[in-house]
Amino acid sequence: MNQIVSIGTSHHVAPIEFREKLAFSEAQIVESLQHFRESDQVQEAVILSTCNRVEVYAVANAVRNAEAAAKILAEFLSHYHQISAESLKKWTYLHHNLETIRHLFRVTTSLDSMVVGESQILGQVKAAYDASREASGVGTILNRLFTKAFSVGKRIRSETTIAAGAVSISYAAVELAKKIFNTLEGKTVAIVGAGEMSELTAKHLVANGVSNVIVANRTYERAVKIAEKFNGTPVAYDSDLGFLIDADIVISSTDAPDYLIKRRPLADIMRKRKHRYMFLIDIAVPRDIEPDVSKIDHAFLYNIDDLEAVVASNLKDRQQEATRAEQIVTEEAKRFYDQLQIFQVNPTIKALHQQFREIADTELQACVYKTTLSDQQEAAIASMTQAIVKKLLHHPMQNLRCAVNDGDADHGQYVQALQELFALDVTDDNSDM
Amino acid sequence: MINFLFLVTLLIYLAASIFQTLSLAISSRSEAVVIRPTIERIAFWGTGIGFAFLSLFITLWWLTQGHFPMTHWTDSTAFFAWAITLIYLIIVRLTHLRALGSFVMPVAFIAILISYSFATHTAALPKPLQNYWLLAHTTLIFLAYAAFIAAFGFGLMYLMTERKIRRKTDALLDNLLPSLGTSDGLGYRCTILGVILLTMGVIVGSLWTQYIRDVPWRWLDAKVISTLVTWFIYVAQIGLRQFWGWHGRRAAYTAIIGFVAVLCTYVGVDLFLDSMHTYR
Repeated sequence: MNQIVSIGTSHHVAPIEFREKLAFSEAQIVESLQHFRESDQVQEAVILSTCNRVEVYAVANAVRNAEAAAKILAEFLSHYHQISAESLKKWTYLHHNLETIRHLFRVTTSLDSMVVGESQILGQVKAAYDASREASGVGTILNRLFTKAFSVGKRIRSETTIAAGAVSISYAAVELAKKIFNTLEGKTVAIVGAGEMSELTAKHLVANGVSNVIVANRTYERAVKIAEKFNGTPVAYDSDLGFLIDADIVISSTDAPDYLIKRRPLADIMRKRKHRYMFLIDIAVPRDIEPDVSKIDHAFLYNIDDLEAVVASNLKDRQQEATRAEQIVTEEAKRFYDQLQIFQVNPTIKALHQQFREIADTELQACVYKTTLSDQQEAAIASMTQAIVKKLLHHPMQNLRCAVNDGDADHGQYVQALQELFALDVTDDNSDM
Repeated sequence: MINFLFLVTLLIYLAASIFQTLSLAISSRSEAVVIRPTIERIAFWGTGIGFAFLSLFITLWWLTQGHFPMTHWTDSTAFFAWAITLIYLIIVRLTHLRALGSFVMPVAFIAILISYSFATHTAALPKPLQNYWLLAHTTLIFLAYAAFIAAFGFGLMYLMTERKIRRKTDALLDNLLPSLGTSDGLGYRCTILGVILLTMGVIVGSLWTQYIRDVPWRWLDAKVISTLVTWFIYVAQIGLRQFWGWHGRRAAYTAIIGFVAVLCTYVGVDLFLDSMHTYR
């Protein structure tokens, strides 16, 4: 029987020092898949190697059980990367059959990622799968498994919100801006002061459509330097805030000890800009923007704590959703595993049916040849033989399917026994499924 | 038969309003993704089917009356609900913003409820009023009202979104309502549409009195004055917006004041004052 196994390591179980030792380059992946194909021990394999995880998924059919299959993978890794068996044992995890399926689904749906809901991993798994397909490392089973994993990923994305809501401050700012403005296109962002966070936020805003960037700084040279990065306009800071007249979004992060943007001058500016919405983000500590500013109509002020609270509530929401996503994954993995079992016994069932039917047909032909029967009689005998075949096979087939459906581990032995007892020639061609 | 049809319409509108309101009540994001699509679908299909039934009812009623039904509260409120739903469906078609239904469908339902409670009443329409002037005049006015009610809905949407943004923590948890800019902009467009329709309706109405000599045009008619006040509120809003930047929150409040004015014009004048427009 086919055994689906995986061995791997991730940020959950191993430090970077180990993960980098286990990592595969693209060329190494191709080389390893080649090795598997030639060794004949592993029929199908996909190697996923990212900065957070290295995993090998494989199907082996010439082994007694899943443990034996896993051992092949472990030995391969140990040999290929020159890692001692002990550290391999310490820093990696092994999964068999159902657990492998569930693990792959969890990985693909980002439930196993550092940030639940991140979208990168899906692309990485797809790339690993494609690479293996190009190197002819994928057969029927992994093909089905990975295709299913992608569709489970899709289902999770549409039925849960694990991927919704910004989980970083800069993205939260972008989403909030989208709640305020009809569109970010044509809008102007003003960066007051300098800092990594404010520049990152501005970058995200520009990526989402904001078209103009104004950079204000106490020292004009500094403003010019930052403005160059955004192709923006440098302006000199003045306490009348005149430079904010065109700003729809203001990001402030100076190290000034007092408020730079105060209510009264800002209210004047708001009047001058005909009360168009202004979204003010204060990421400075101590704060740059007087809290009372939020009392001005159409001025929306968020400070660093507010943004962090938004992010925290999004993270909490994702965490809750993750529980639901786990349920879906478990359920899908179980269903896929069951289908796979049936799918794997199907060739045997088919072969057995065919054998019986052929025997019946041959005997029927012989019988018809020897005797003279009317068409009606011939038809009656033909349908009788078909019925006998069906009835003879009824119980064995039902019990076999039951064993598969109940997750009975013995069904592999049943299949083997059937194949040997009836001398069935079961090719592993499942292309009709 | 026609009464039964009307009862069915009423019940469909009730269901649609309940589901529209429910979809708004869902506030957490996980609920939103799991059950909201279903609720929204039911609400929206309910609205569509209700509208079809209502159109059928009005048509049948028109045929049995022999003239455009606009004499009694039954006729007028049913037509009012029809106009509200029509404008709503057009807006959804253009913007895909179904959330507006949560605000306008209950209004449509109440209108139908009033209509239903008078359902057996009919009143004869004086011969001189039986013509297409009546049809044009009332249709324009009611579509204007419906546009103003949509603007009112957008105003409420604006205020709800703004409150969420100011409350901060749950600002991003719900994505049903559109951005402030969108609510505000669409509300404004509805207001403009309403003003255009109302202006046309008033012009048609005054031409109509010219046309039928024996009904004198009375400037002091309560309904006329009230309509002009309503008209002025909306025109003022548009002007203030253009020249002093009265948009956003102020526009939302004006839309609510305008809504009250519309209700006063439509219902209040009839109940408390004498007018040539009174429904019997």
